[in-house]
Amino acid sequence: MGFAFTEENLEELEALAKRYPSKEALMLPALWKVMEQDGYVSMDAIDVVADYLGVPPMKVYGVVTFYTMFHLEPVGTYHIQLCRTLSCSLCGKGEILQYLRNKLGIDVGETTPDGKFTLSQVECLGSCGTAPVMQINDTLYENLTPEKVDEILEGLK
Amino acid sequence: MSETLGRKVKISVDGRIIEAEEGAILLQVLLKNGFEIPYYCYHEALGPDGNCRMCMVEIEGKKRPQISCDTFVEEGLVIHTNTENIRKVRREILELQLINHPVDCPICDQAGECSLQDYYMEYGLYHGSVEKGKKLHFNKHLDLGRNVMLDQERCVLCQRCTRFTTNITQTNELGIVWRADHSCVSTLPGRKLENGYAMNLVDLCPVGALTSKDFRFQQRVWFLTPTPSVCHGCAKGCNIFVDHARLKYHDDTIYRFRPRKNPDINGYFICDDGRLSYKALQTGRLEKALFEGREIGFDEAVRELKKSVECTTGRIVILADANLYTEELEMIQIFANRIGAWLYAPLESYIDEKFADEWLRNAMRAANAKGVEKLGIATTMPEIKRDTLLINFNHPVADSLDVRRRIDFLTHAEGPETGSRADLTLPIAVWSEASGTLINIDGLEQRCEQVIYPSDPVPTVIRWLEAYELGERCIV
Amino acid sequence: MREVKIVSRRFDIPGSHTLDIAREHGAYEAVERAFDMGPEAVLNAVCESGLRGKGGGGAPACGKWRLAKEHSDPTKFLAVNCDESEPGTFKDRQIITKDPHLLIEGIILTCYAIGAHDAYVYIRGEYYGFQKILQGAIDEAYAAGILGEKTLGREYRVDVTIHRGAGAYICGEKSALLESMEGKRGHPRLKPHRKEPEWYFGRPTLVNNVETIATIPFIVKEGPEAYRNYGTEKSPGTMLFALSGHVKRPGIYEAEFGTPMMAYIEHYGGGIRDGMALKAVIPGGASTPVLTADEARSANLDYESMRSLGSSLGTGGMIVMDESVDMVEALKNLLAFYHHESCGQCTPCREGTGWVDAIVASVLKREADVADLDKLLDISWIMNGKTICVFAPAVSGVIDAFVKKFRAEFEACLRSHV
Ligand SMILES: Cc1cc2nc3c(=O)[nH]c(=O)nc-3n(C[C@H](O)[C@H](O)[C@H](O)COP(=O)(O)O)c2cc1C
Ligand code: SF4
Ligand code: SF4
Ligand code: SF4
Ligand code: FES
Ligand code: FES
Repeated sequence: MGFAFTEENLEELEALAKRYPSKEALMLPALWKVMEQDGYVSMDAIDVVADYLGVPPMKVYGVVTFYTMFHLEPVGTYHIQLCRTLSCSLCGKGEILQYLRNKLGIDVGETTPDGKFTLSQVECLGSCGTAPVMQINDTLYENLTPEKVDEILEGLK
Repeated sequence: MSETLGRKVKISVDGRIIEAEEGAILLQVLLKNGFEIPYYCYHEALGPDGNCRMCMVEIEGKKRPQISCDTFVEEGLVIHTNTENIRKVRREILELQLINHPVDCPICDQAGECSLQDYYMEYGLYHGSVEKGKKLHFNKHLDLGRNVMLDQERCVLCQRCTRFTTNITQTNELGIVWRADHSCVSTLPGRKLENGYAMNLVDLCPVGALTSKDFRFQQRVWFLTPTPSVCHGCAKGCNIFVDHARLKYHDDTIYRFRPRKNPDINGYFICDDGRLSYKALQTGRLEKALFEGREIGFDEAVRELKKSVECTTGRIVILADANLYTEELEMIQIFANRIGAWLYAPLESYIDEKFADEWLRNAMRAANAKGVEKLGIATTMPEIKRDTLLINFNHPVADSLDVRRRIDFLTHAEGPETGSRADLTLPIAVWSEASGTLINIDGLEQRCEQVIYPSDPVPTVIRWLEAYELGERCIV
Repeated sequence: MREVKIVSRRFDIPGSHTLDIAREHGAYEAVERAFDMGPEAVLNAVCESGLRGKGGGGAPACGKWRLAKEHSDPTKFLAVNCDESEPGTFKDRQIITKDPHLLIEGIILTCYAIGAHDAYVYIRGEYYGFQKILQGAIDEAYAAGILGEKTLGREYRVDVTIHRGAGAYICGEKSALLESMEGKRGHPRLKPHRKEPEWYFGRPTLVNNVETIATIPFIVKEGPEAYRNYGTEKSPGTMLFALSGHVKRPGIYEAEFGTPMMAYIEHYGGGIRDGMALKAVIPGGASTPVLTADEARSANLDYESMRSLGSSLGTGGMIVMDESVDMVEALKNLLAFYHHESCGQCTPCREGTGWVDAIVASVLKREADVADLDKLLDISWIMNGKTICVFAPAVSGVIDAFVKKFRAEFEACLRSHV
């Protein structure tokens, strides 16, 4: 369905535009606003962003698909992103993954039937010293243990 | 680079000394001098992009092989194009290209003009070595619109197509989406190519990923003869190759038009309308002369023509198509003088503003409008009374004229009639079956040789008029 | 081993991320000093300090700064690289959360030295929580007249803008980072034909890592000699080294260059997990060739020592592996990362990363034979030195080191051995 930036977001983008030599620089900031508003980037939003930046929609589409944090489809309310890279793997990521799978009853790439949780594996989150780690939406959780995972998920209900 | 372009310098390639312009793109120079350098992403019209990494050569003094498409000529370069190391680079890259690329040349439409296939044969790769890898599956039959089909599995991601729609047509329909080995060429979901030059993509694609719906599976390319010619679709006069063949049980037939490079006119490209205009040359043609609705032979037709012209006492008006070659128009001019006729080639009727754009497509949709002007033929519309004898040489406006007496020289059998019907209708050859010169909208004169030699040719304008000259006077 | 804190000096002070506390402990003092010295002198100090970039390449800061400064275009930019996506690396994160004012101070000094007025900090999208802390500090600095039209009352404008990435390791590569900031896909650019600055919308631009920039205040305030006091002749100063994997106390600890690797691991990391022996160390982020335990024992934490071992110092993020680690699995883990993160632009890397990942997967499944290991090394060869950026060569180095140094483990997994 149609997309439009909120007044507030438009104002923020306008203010940001003054800080760059070209409006095209607002590509990622604008897409982040879209993500903030809708949780994903719809085709309508792609047209709106393209129009706002004065670039072809195809360019926006190319960008959206390049960056893994942008989604073309809605994901669960809580997007669990478990780090799968080496330090986390060395420190017990496998166990956490198994635990999450069992607890949520879904596999990687799936969303719970109530639409609440989506489970993903992601690459190194830049927190290897506190491995294993996961990020739920924008919040990072470190030094995970099954007990800690319980606590965290409990807090989200 | 460009600021120094122009000075001739010497470089050494595989022991041969070559002269080249300083600052020129090395790959271009190597190709021009006959060195075989495999490459995908570079294209003269699109410039270097450096993504395929196939065009590597060794340059003395550089530790690593360098891509020749992004190396500029300087005095004293010493280059090796065919060392063991370079051959290995090419072989490995080729093998990588083939991992996600189906080796199905026999059923690929691009077979015969696919760089991948050429290199693959040359470097002696075989199925076995690539089977171990994974093959990713992409969409094999994407209709991009405008007659262009995309097979993502055959794509080597050279980005020629995306650079064409981004930089050349600036219509931006295509782009690379996703990342890593999931990258692929795509349009926006649900949207299509929408530019009048889209079929150039098929020529640009170095492999069989982009194919023409019009040409797909029509003809294996190795049977085709490419004859240079000029498109007659508008006054721009884009240079083309006419790909044609005379196959068993078939007459000499055109299978497609392709752009032929001419920096002064069309660069590397042609428009789609022009490209597809070959079809009209071989459909709906008028093949036999008709007199009062009855087919007659050439000699009889000449006699009837003479009779009609010489027995006329009233005013004679000749209309000549501005697509005819200058030589044909000249002949008509002489003919007009001889019989005391008024000759016109009204240009108004060719103007099609909707067709025009800022690039190649010209509103004047007659190939030789400038030739008409140069010969001093009147370009206005004459007044034609009902008792005028109209002799029409394929001019489009003639269709709608209502006159009592008319003689039509036509390439095509008439379409829906609005005007009067001629007593005498004579078939003439289309431009591909004749030769002559054209002057394009910018005043450039171009010679076109005859391309098609049908086994039973239709007479050209010149042949008709020569026969007329030789024929006996009409005895009333 | 002498302990030293140059960049991490304020890390342990409670509330160090706030302006008041930071200023109490000396923040922005170097700015005053720089304005007295003049831009040329600031640049000279950086050159004399021998400071090398901390983003992974270790290139001397001096040369890059000069290229930007001396370019005739009066409009120049600074892009600060906080993409921090190299596995094993989590140091820049400490700076922006524990001492963001140190980074802002460094940005002001750098801008002043090269003649830039607009700085962008490109932060990986996942660091959103940390980004907010840095943004808070930036806001405070604006409010206090440190950033904006004037810098602490002096006639010099510096604006700092955070640019949030969106999940792409390759955007840490400097030219891809600038492409990304220009609103494009993060495709690295072709290498220039001569020495020149980076370009942002056609304007000369300096790209430096967060930690590099955060080192500038010390150099300006204490002088280049004070910095050279630490480290070795060719690797002067200190670095925020990191430990992750099988050590007792993983984390970030600053140390001077030249510190023996094992001494560092013992002293700060508390050694290897109990009862286990060391097997291997990846010395400077996943993209540096792995060292065997023996090599690690002879390694010093500096560029030259690492190079002599055929590896490199990279980001200084060490991933420590004990004897429980299956090296085939470890390589597979890393190759999945590169397979996922290749920008997909050039053939050897786009196709190669996928293929090597598939081959090692087949080794793990006991479906491969010796010919496949050879193929693995062949692909590694074509990825080395033949691509647009150094992503693929790094992958090549990773593969070669794993397969050559632990070949027996790979061979034990081959089909013929089952
Ligand atoms: C694949 C790749 C990833 C990189 N990632 C980062 C990064 O996350 N952060 C960083 O500062 N430098 C990274 N770099 C290095 C940058 O290209 C650049 O050299 C660096 O930011 C320059 O800063 P420095 O000289 O201060 O180190 C990366 C390089 C490559 C090839
Ligand atoms: S479709 Fe053809 S031209 Fe386009 S990127 Fe693929 S191989 Fe190149
Ligand atoms: S622009 Fe005119 S001459 Fe050129 S190809 Fe199109 S129709 Fe033919
Ligand atoms: S080496 Fe890899 S990451 Fe670098 S440009 Fe090529 S495909 Fe992209
Ligand atoms: S490996 Fe998981 S955060 Fe780095
Ligand atoms: S032609 Fe040179 S890299 Fe593709």
